[in-house]
Amino acid sequence: MITIDNVKKSFQGNEVLKGISLTIEKNDVVAILGPSGSGKTTFLRCINFLEKADEGKIVFDGIETDLSKASKKEIAAIRKKTAFVFQNYNLFQNKTALENVTEGLIIARKVPKAEAEKIAKEALDKVGLSERYDYYPSQLSGGQQQRVGIARAFAVNPEVILFDEPTSALDPELIGEVLGVMKKLAKEGTTMVVVTHEMSFARDAATKVVFMADGKIVEEGTSKEFFTHPKEERTRQFLRRYLNDYDYLI
Amino acid sequence: MNLDISFAFETLIQIIPGIPVTLGMALGALLIAVPLGFLLALIRVNKIFIIDKLAALYVSFVRGTPVVVQIFLIYSALPAILNQMIEANGWQLDAYSVPPVLYAILVFGFNTSTHLSEIFRSALLSVPKGQKEAAYTVGLNAFQAYRRIIIPQALAVAAPSMCTASMNMLKNTSLAYMMAVMDITGRAKALAGVGYQYLEAYLDIFVMYLILCLCVEKLFQIWEKRLLHYKITA
Repeated sequence: MITIDNVKKSFQGNEVLKGISLTIEKNDVVAILGPSGSGKTTFLRCINFLEKADEGKIVFDGIETDLSKASKKEIAAIRKKTAFVFQNYNLFQNKTALENVTEGLIIARKVPKAEAEKIAKEALDKVGLSERYDYYPSQLSGGQQQRVGIARAFAVNPEVILFDEPTSALDPELIGEVLGVMKKLAKEGTTMVVVTHEMSFARDAATKVVFMADGKIVEEGTSKEFFTHPKEERTRQFLRRYLNDYDYLI
Repeated sequence: MNLDISFAFETLIQIIPGIPVTLGMALGALLIAVPLGFLLALIRVNKIFIIDKLAALYVSFVRGTPVVVQIFLIYSALPAILNQMIEANGWQLDAYSVPPVLYAILVFGFNTSTHLSEIFRSALLSVPKGQKEAAYTVGLNAFQAYRRIIIPQALAVAAPSMCTASMNMLKNTSLAYMMAVMDITGRAKALAGVGYQYLEAYLDIFVMYLILCLCVEKLFQIWEKRLLHYKITA
């Protein structure tokens, strides 16, 4: 469904992405793992043009777009097929939970208001926020805000949802509620690309795991292969560190 | 010191017709200052090549000179320039019949635009980058993102300083008497001059400016409250 080819990106001469390629099939849940600074987030942002890649292309439903020099129209087309969940939620501060979800429907997709509100209420119900339609982000906890963020993402029925470390800004007690929603979406067959440090999510919910280090993909495979038989030494190093901290994973 | 209360009261009544002039100048100036200030802020925030340097230069020039000098300059230069244009084009107009209040509106409008542009600039910068990014990812274009997400949040930040700038400008319009504008100050000076009863007349407009400013303050407070409706904490 989506093929991303040879994405390169430098920040002030510092090469962050050294040619990343990835194929995403429908219903895939791709977990991108790796140490901090490996370029995972930058890669995800390049897919959605939040960051302009220096090189690389994306083929989305057979339509090829150059990531480094896409036109406004091409960017808008890809953004309409994707949704993004941010590390620090980035809910619209001046909008209620419901308005956060309807914004992309009414304004960008021209869905009639009544229908958009119906969709948005269903989305918020699904993430367990049926009591919070009219709350502003400032009135919600981090976990609740991120669940609104996820509802905002899947309400527009995108072909793929991109998650950028969705639980990294949450305290441990709130991580569970957000991961729960994500696992539910994964089970329903939502196509997702998730940059994360949550090993349990990668192991249990991902269909495919990609391990990045120093701007390159070191290893990729099914989540079972990856966690039980890592091929590369670099991967083993990384997993060892995590498995020491989280030995319940084994 | 003898205060002629009845003169003060009579003068007050005669000054009242100057209120629409004062408020009209202030409103007219705001109509120039708000859009211009916002445009300057947008140009500088988005670092539009070369134009942003020109905008910064304009702001420095206008902010770096006293209003009184700006009034002198505009009031002596503009009619002359206008006159030359009229002669060059053969228009049937008299440059010196342009009501001075229009020059006043220009001066205060340009002057306030620089203060507002700095206020808008810092307000726009105060909205986190993630708000714009989130707007883009849900499918809004740049214009929609500004209008629906960024500007409402920036205005909430800018409102208190906008109130100060507007009040300063309203008070500065008192300098329009130098261009023979018959606002409340102009009227007070003229009426006081007749019998050299300056103190009474000045007390009158002292109170009037105070009341006008308090009204402006109140209006901004109401507006600010509406803008900030989303900042309630649980």
